[in-house]
Amino acid sequence: MHIFRQFIVIALLSAIGSAYSLVTGLALLPWAEPEIGPNEIRLEDAKALDVIWVDARSAEDFSVEHAPEAIFFDQADPGSSMAGILELWLESPRVIIVYCADAGCGTSKKIAEELRANLPDAEIYSLKGGWDAWSR
Amino acid sequence: MVQVNAIGLFALVARLVLAWVFIRAGLPKVQDPVAFAASIDNYRIVEGSLSLWVALVLPWLEVVIGIGLLTPWLRQASGWAITALLGLFIGLHTSAWARGLDIDCGCFGESNETIGYHWLILRNSLLLLVAIFILLRDSRNKKTPESSI
Repeated sequence: MHIFRQFIVIALLSAIGSAYSLVTGLALLPWAEPEIGPNEIRLEDAKALDVIWVDARSAEDFSVEHAPEAIFFDQADPGSSMAGILELWLESPRVIIVYCADAGCGTSKKIAEELRANLPDAEIYSLKGGWDAWSR
Repeated sequence: MVQVNAIGLFALVARLVLAWVFIRAGLPKVQDPVAFAASIDNYRIVEGSLSLWVALVLPWLEVVIGIGLLTPWLRQASGWAITALLGLFIGLHTSAWARGLDIDCGCFGESNETIGYHWLILRNSLLLLVAIFILLRDSRNKKTPESSI
């Protein structure tokens, strides 16, 4: 059989197997909206932990209200904000959770990713739903 | 008449070993794609629905090409696919090692395999050499069809 046809047969067999996994419920539907994304945490789970909260909203929003003992992440000066968080974590290693305004903002995920790069041993999440989840 | 010499015998054993490794790697992941998706996420290269797609399709592909390597009418494409996948795995492990990630490789499903990156890369490099040998052997046999092993 020509190699091109062999690849088609392999692809078809793999697709049939994958369909079997989906039909039998072995695999999650990849196109379904996930309840929670990777590296995200729900507020109810977060509240049960000893957490370093990192607020990635604007300074005005932070000054109005924020999570208990949250650290403001100044996006105009990310280096010193990052250094402050690293220092706090090194003093007392805890779970770090970053939140921004709502589920649609991507800042918390971006900052969490940067923190992970600087603190590979730390457990770092972004809060599902952002500050909206707090204020509900 | 088929002549089985030492190289032919080695090729047969190499083919069996490579097929076994891929089937053995694929089956546990077929049974638990959710755990495999978590392993994929740990590499921090793909995430979310894309890692679910990879966790869904890749284990079946491994099983199919593992069996395909032993199937005369699928062995050529299976050999190429195995070679490409091994190259990809070596690249992924090297990348994770370079980024200092401390993760379970997810190679054989959720196994809590704790061997270091250098061993993973060495193991896959040896398997890659075996796969290339089989490809070359098949290519030669195609030109001289009197030998079928």
